[in-house]
Amino acid sequence: MIVYLLTPEQAESLINVEVVQDNFFNPIQDADGNWIISQEEVDQCNIRWVKSLPQIEYNPVIPKDPY
Amino acid sequence: MSFLVNPYWFGTGGCTDADALAFLTATGITDPTITSAICTLVTSMKANGTWAKCNAIYPFVGGTSTTHMYNLKSPLNVNSSFRLFFSGGWTHSANGAQANGTNSFADTYLIPSSELTLLNTHLSFYSRTYTIGNGQRDIAAYTLGATPSFSLGTNTGVLISDHYWYTTNRMSRSIPNAQGMMLTSRTSDTVHKAYRNGTQLGATDNVSNAGNVMPSISLYLGVANVTPLAPTSYSTKEYAFASIGAGLSDAEAATLYTDVQAFQTTLSRNV
Repeated sequence: MIVYLLTPEQAESLINVEVVQDNFFNPIQDADGNWIISQEEVDQCNIRWVKSLPQIEYNPVIPKDPY
Repeated sequence: MSFLVNPYWFGTGGCTDADALAFLTATGITDPTITSAICTLVTSMKANGTWAKCNAIYPFVGGTSTTHMYNLKSPLNVNSSFRLFFSGGWTHSANGAQANGTNSFADTYLIPSSELTLLNTHLSFYSRTYTIGNGQRDIAAYTLGATPSFSLGTNTGVLISDHYWYTTNRMSRSIPNAQGMMLTSRTSDTVHKAYRNGTQLGATDNVSNAGNVMPSISLYLGVANVTPLAPTSYSTKEYAFASIGAGLSDAEAATLYTDVQAFQTTLSRNV
């Protein structure tokens, strides 16, 4: 699965920013410590620099807790 | 002779239920099919006694994050009305709210220990997604390292329910696919049941739950809210209804399914 790579500063700047009205960005860290956002956020937003972010393969965090 | 005509009455398709009208006004929805579906859902749930047992009802109509965020029980754009706060990569459409399994969730702002009655709780969602995702939590809150877990979700081939003692009260029940209305309910210390489309799945969990507590963090939709960690177990399901509230009897679980399925059928999105 393709996701989009952010710098820590870019991730911070997207906090409390709307993708579309009443739906906010949610930058998360993958298993390698990279900050990423999803394909849907990039597709739906109108922020130019977000649309030019580099793509990477998603490497999800596997929870240690069995929950 | 003259006639007094109230144009609003026609605009709401003849719906006179104050709660339905409040929701339609808040969302700005005027579509006659949705209006009729919402009005019938509210009046049917009231007639069948399930309306009063819900703290939050999310009908996911109107096709946008703005219309999907409102709680039918209290359609105000404030956290205290348990309005959904959508984060991440959701896809909103006339069919509902589709989670992406990567980073999408919605905070309900509903804290079980504050808003619900211990040993008298239910969670439900209506899924249009066929595939049973492994390690997916659809409405959930969990305190790491302690027992309280209030959770509804799926693992491979099964529906998962925690009401509340995750280590001893986890219920796993086989399901053929992830489509339809999933509902779990606790109505006493020793009665914890799971339903799919109004029919109970397997046996009742009758292990005593006495002395347990509910999580004191808010329930998330589309993932588990886990304290003190980041949200865990993102879902890929498309939601067309969800509810949170008091425990439901077998009859109430069945009638709620009937009402919700009629609602989805009116909206041409039933599965």
